[in-house]
Amino acid sequence: MAQITRRKFLIASGWVAGGVTALVALRHRAVAVAPTIIFPDGESGATWVQIRPDGACQMFFPRIDMGQNANTGLAQIVAEELNLSIEDIQGVQPNTSQVPPLAVTAGSMSLTAFSRPMAIAAATLREQLRGLAAVHLGAPLSSILDAVGGFRTAEGQSLSYAALVNETSLVIEFDDTKSAPALYTFDSNRIKQQVGHSKTPLGTRGLVTGEPVFAADVPVAGVLFGRAIQPPVRTARMASIDTTGVAAVAGLVALVQTDDFVGVVCKTPSAVDAAMAEIEVTWDLEQPINQAEIDRLVDVDAEMAVGDLEQVLLDQSHRKTVDWAIDLRFDVQVQTHAAQEPRAAIAYFKDAGEGGHQLQIWTGTQDPWAIKRFAAMDTSLSEEDIIVYPMRLGGGFGGREHYEVERDAVRLARTVQRPVKVQWTRQDEFTASRNRPASAHRLRINCDEAGNLSDWWHGYVTGHVILARDRLPGWLLPVARLGEDMGVVKGALSPYEAPHQRVEFKDVDLPIDLGVWRSLNAAPAIFAIESAMDELAIQQGLEPVDFKLAQMGDQHPRLQHCLARVRALSLNATLPEGSGYGRGFACGIYDNRCFVAISADVQVDTATQAIRVHRLCCVQDVGMPINPGQLRAQIESNLTWSLGMALFERLEVGDNRIKSTNFDNYRIPRMADMPSVDIEIVDQPSIPPAGAGEVALIAGPPAIANAIRNATGFRALKLPISAADITAGLRGDRQVPVN
Amino acid sequence: MKLKVNGVERPVAAAWQNESLLSVLREQLGLTGARLSCGIGQCGACVVHVNGQPVASCVLPVSEAAGTEILTIEGLAREDASLHPLQQAWLDAAVPQCGYCQSGQIMQALALLQRIPDPDDAQITQAMNGNLCRCGTYDRIRTSIKNAALVMRETR
Repeated sequence: MAQITRRKFLIASGWVAGGVTALVALRHRAVAVAPTIIFPDGESGATWVQIRPDGACQMFFPRIDMGQNANTGLAQIVAEELNLSIEDIQGVQPNTSQVPPLAVTAGSMSLTAFSRPMAIAAATLREQLRGLAAVHLGAPLSSILDAVGGFRTAEGQSLSYAALVNETSLVIEFDDTKSAPALYTFDSNRIKQQVGHSKTPLGTRGLVTGEPVFAADVPVAGVLFGRAIQPPVRTARMASIDTTGVAAVAGLVALVQTDDFVGVVCKTPSAVDAAMAEIEVTWDLEQPINQAEIDRLVDVDAEMAVGDLEQVLLDQSHRKTVDWAIDLRFDVQVQTHAAQEPRAAIAYFKDAGEGGHQLQIWTGTQDPWAIKRFAAMDTSLSEEDIIVYPMRLGGGFGGREHYEVERDAVRLARTVQRPVKVQWTRQDEFTASRNRPASAHRLRINCDEAGNLSDWWHGYVTGHVILARDRLPGWLLPVARLGEDMGVVKGALSPYEAPHQRVEFKDVDLPIDLGVWRSLNAAPAIFAIESAMDELAIQQGLEPVDFKLAQMGDQHPRLQHCLARVRALSLNATLPEGSGYGRGFACGIYDNRCFVAISADVQVDTATQAIRVHRLCCVQDVGMPINPGQLRAQIESNLTWSLGMALFERLEVGDNRIKSTNFDNYRIPRMADMPSVDIEIVDQPSIPPAGAGEVALIAGPPAIANAIRNATGFRALKLPISAADITAGLRGDRQVPVN
Repeated sequence: MKLKVNGVERPVAAAWQNESLLSVLREQLGLTGARLSCGIGQCGACVVHVNGQPVASCVLPVSEAAGTEILTIEGLAREDASLHPLQQAWLDAAVPQCGYCQSGQIMQALALLQRIPDPDDAQITQAMNGNLCRCGTYDRIRTSIKNAALVMRETR
């Protein structure tokens, strides 16, 4: 596969059947996010833009759409560079045979990693066309000026792109060894027509008219329906299985059982439900699945009592024996993705005589090329015999990277030699999702006589994230774990300055499956950091925002700006008089490049046991806004998730199984929970865009917790926060940390 | 058995008469706008109208829908292919993120506006609170309902 060049790929896919195409290699900009990805190498491409003979502009979308609408932002960049409107851009979601491997869509990296290559590709194309225009008009290159959809001269001649392009195909390759053409997107002096404007995302019309866009919507003739049993954890092994009643189910096509895989294929969806209900499995577990076991495994105090934690992120003149002003433990519970779409895939093995790929897979996945590779390993087919058609995801949030529902569909389809559609049930989603781990954080802080931070000690224990069990091959995992889990360290370093600091952690296996969840460790760690700093300010009789601004020193001006601005924004509304109302603030940095501050206004009614968030203000700086409306949408989404993380969501486990099964026992935010929202986006026209998909979630939960502290005096030490905890805490039933 | 969907009578094959309305719409009639999410009528992604009422089609046996008038998201656009005011409002406000729940959201909103042409915030919340959106597009849904209500009242 590696021998096939980009150019050959484009020809094989019919992409360059005419017109001019520009493409850009990522080379060393490979996005190292998850260990399962296939990294783009020198032979891989990232961005393709083409003007076709009819003048239409086509681009391959390099990202999977799952709600973040990153491809729309990239199309805006292409339109800006080519003096087109985004409506003129025809986006094509490539399948795995059309382009070399693209990196997994994850880590909010789409704009960070792809905006510049995409701009270069489009600008390279523009300049190539400008050269053709100069030849065409017999005029010097410098006299060829930009025009909408083409070029013009000062003398009034004009040429559209269509007039410059014919059926002869021309491919221009750009790589990092060449100097980039002028990039309009990043020219802060240019008045932009596309970039920086709130364009409606491409594909929105199909979403409001009900067009088939998700994997389960794909019409495949003769499709059958299937499903497989999901274990409570991937290390579980079947102890017993009873399939006695399956054969009697009307509409059964096949019962498929190999090793620890058991599934059914039926003629209709209800027959699948009936057949699956006849399968009884008991499991052998390596660890008992219950909350007490999780609590024991992440008991940070027990670990720190034994000695240093395994991994040290920062050690700067650390002093262990200090009279701590703050010595608090924060616990964050397991959360799951609960995307609205239960994952689905359709697999179809064709007879060799039919031609084309032997195995076709339609699926919603963040990582289509990994699915192809894993399907090849699973079936012993070569990768060239497999084609994956990536479909839109009904929500990803980090939970859709692995060969799972695809495995079910592939194995079942191979047995029956017919196309098989598998869609997990909601319970399957809760049972088999790779969750955000529980974590426990011990925060110790002290101040000098002037009230400035002197000592900072943050130790935490969490389940693994990126290096979670079964996310890597078994032989690789112990090696990989010698290094840091990049998901576990996110958000752990605070923006505050102290001469004596230590940040250490230990990551452990939990009895449930773990993985990547929106913001990874950043939201839990920053909940602890921002809560502790708030408490310290209160203890010193200082206003928390002033205190935090002062303690950042001069290292984080963009964060300071966000925090100061959100305070100003919060003052636009007056907190109602009366008891139970409070306002809190929090801020944070995501991935060293995204800055956010949030204020929360809450009301705690201990009589009705209600916690109500009335208002959230958010100021966010992620560099240049490519599409402010979509940036805002991501903030809105993160604020909604902040409510869930702070107040509702906890994956319930017990009796050796996952007890959360559906939306009736795992509460996600609803319309009635929504506060009024005030969002300010900091415009940074000269700073390249960074992703916004996971940013505001880091500051939302601590802002809410700090508001509850302000309203009631109760310091939340556990997420989610319940009104019962507040009542009990204020009564003194449970330990109240300070004051 | 026949189903009358979006004004058109469609036969239901004998083997599919014990399925949910949602399964038949999606797998037999090719109407995939209504979507499966919770499977227990708790999230609203599968909402269609049966005799003008919003129902969770994932838990409604298709046999109970025979002889009714069924309206799905695919039946909303007008004869000239222009969008329904609700769809247009959704498009204008760029409501969808992942989009999976949005057909159900729009059908639920339509039922609300047919009942209450000028709903206040509390009425919108009450009508829409059972329709979950994991992406958190609730504010834009509320705005779009109000905008569509205005257009629908003006063009009445």
